[in-house]
Amino acid sequence: MNLAISLEMVDLDHHEPNRNSRETKHFWDQLYPLIAAAGFGAIEIPYEPKWDFGGRSGIPRSRRSIETKFGTPSGYLEHLAQAGITHVTGIHFDPSMFLSDNLDQFFGIFRHFAQEALGFAADLQAAYLTLSVSPPLGKLQAVCPQDQNVQDFQVAYLQKAAQLVSELTQEASTKGVRLCIKNAFGSLLRGEAVVPFIRSLPQSVWLDFDTAHLQIAGVDVAAFAIAHADRIGCVHLTDTAFVDSEQAYLQKNPDYPQGAATRVFRDVGTGTIDFAPILKSLTAIGYTGSVTLNSKNTADIHRALLRMRHFANQNSRDLNR
Amino acid sequence: MANLRLSHMSHWKTIPYRQIDNFRDFYYEEKSNLAYYSDWDRILRYHKATGYEGIEVAPWDLPDMLALFGSPQAFAEFAQERGVAVSGMFHGADLSHVPSKREEILQSGRQAIEVIRAFGGKHMNLCPNSNYYGVGPLSRADIQQAAAVISELGRMAIDQGIQIGLHNEFFCAINKENHREFIESTDPNSVFYCLDTAQIAIIGEDLLQFYEDYHDRICTFHLKDTASCSLPDAIRYGKDVEIVDDGTRWFWEPGEGVLDFKGLWQLLKKYQFKGWMTIETDGTPDLLASMALSSYYVKHELAPIYA
Repeated sequence: MNLAISLEMVDLDHHEPNRNSRETKHFWDQLYPLIAAAGFGAIEIPYEPKWDFGGRSGIPRSRRSIETKFGTPSGYLEHLAQAGITHVTGIHFDPSMFLSDNLDQFFGIFRHFAQEALGFAADLQAAYLTLSVSPPLGKLQAVCPQDQNVQDFQVAYLQKAAQLVSELTQEASTKGVRLCIKNAFGSLLRGEAVVPFIRSLPQSVWLDFDTAHLQIAGVDVAAFAIAHADRIGCVHLTDTAFVDSEQAYLQKNPDYPQGAATRVFRDVGTGTIDFAPILKSLTAIGYTGSVTLNSKNTADIHRALLRMRHFANQNSRDLNR
Repeated sequence: MANLRLSHMSHWKTIPYRQIDNFRDFYYEEKSNLAYYSDWDRILRYHKATGYEGIEVAPWDLPDMLALFGSPQAFAEFAQERGVAVSGMFHGADLSHVPSKREEILQSGRQAIEVIRAFGGKHMNLCPNSNYYGVGPLSRADIQQAAAVISELGRMAIDQGIQIGLHNEFFCAINKENHREFIESTDPNSVFYCLDTAQIAIIGEDLLQFYEDYHDRICTFHLKDTASCSLPDAIRYGKDVEIVDDGTRWFWEPGEGVLDFKGLWQLLKKYQFKGWMTIETDGTPDLLASMALSSYYVKHELAPIYA
């Protein structure tokens, strides 16, 4: 398995002291060698074109940013290599921020940036592009026309999403990038619901096996890997201690459930997910693709790096196959 | 303060919770100070505690705010319960010099005016054009076109009880060579000026002279300091210059840079300015510390001159 860490561990959206320094190139230049020092030579990059609108090219999360600071994606790869990071394993694009009640406009924007992210992934020689094709259920419900049944709206949404994904498959194949679909717990594709969506699409569309999202949605994660071994395109080891007893998955921002405040995602190895049977399942199905550790929006970046290194060491026998 | 009301520009980024009632449990999950910056209840209490009567809303935070509160009115009520009023909101008029963009600018501006009214705010502090890079230099005709559409927006705003305050950025397409021409091309009855003290000093204006020259147009302020006065054109006109690669800061808390705020306060007294003044500490590593530091400076160093 090819082990990587996700740069989603760096929270750019929420407030905390010293957050503003994360908009500088200097912050990331300092971070890259630390990632390598923690023993990780591969990274996943979240694709976030929203930073382009404010001219935040110091944040390496879009083609514009990379080309502004490094000239070309190749130039960025050279920069990473000098720091000890040898490759970019994948790109994750979530178009949810563009959702409005104008769905035609939304899907136009989705298509535009998904294609951009796909080209970016190819230029960075990444193995996969994973897409969050469904915004949070609460946000979708908010844009459902008043004269339309919510279930019908959701079905129509997924049909449009499936069509968009299908349109991307040929380009993805040509570029040698594996197209994967996320199973976010607060989305239309939560838990088992991602399966019929994936299986309605060409074989070249894969499942993004994301452990925390599956567990929160009530899925037996280890069994899920066995059941859908033939469609797992990439693996995200994410952790959680969250039990969704209040249907947070229906909210507009399920990662921050209103009611009792909690951190839904925990640093990998610090939640309640039992990774041993999951890793054994992945071994049993012969999975040898990318495995990305994602301590999403960690409270402490440097501590999270070392925690993920500790996790990788504790599970080296399964992760180093 | 009788004449001056202190507001603070919201650079909090996304605040994920409206009000955290299980605060101790939430804190113990990570035992981190992040818990203290996670809900609007606490954020607004910090405003009041550090001496701010108001908050200026950032438009990029609106989607998340409205998802939590449902409406601008609901947020305003929530804030008022904590002793904080919404003084206004920032807005941008990209490509205002392009005739074909007129309708789009007016539509976007109209929506922003409605939102500010709903918040109960008074000021729409407006960046009048796009960044200089890729757009500038603007021609005389461009300046006139931009001034015309902004004036039209200004009249729309006045009808709704809102004041547009031109707010220049040091990297804006309207810049040193045409800044004054632009101001004087706008309708003085409907277009006012939000004096961002650092931005205009970085452009190359003399802060005190600028206030003397335009005091009758200046309706509000973004107060911040700088140690980078009169930056060269090559920097101001560059790409993505607001955030510097090596972490250099353009902006500092009032009193931490080189600007003559005491001189400015003498002028405020001379011309008897009354109204909102927004402290803005964009780029700070610690927003709460900057809020407190700035408030102390205004209330203890400057207030003896004029309050």
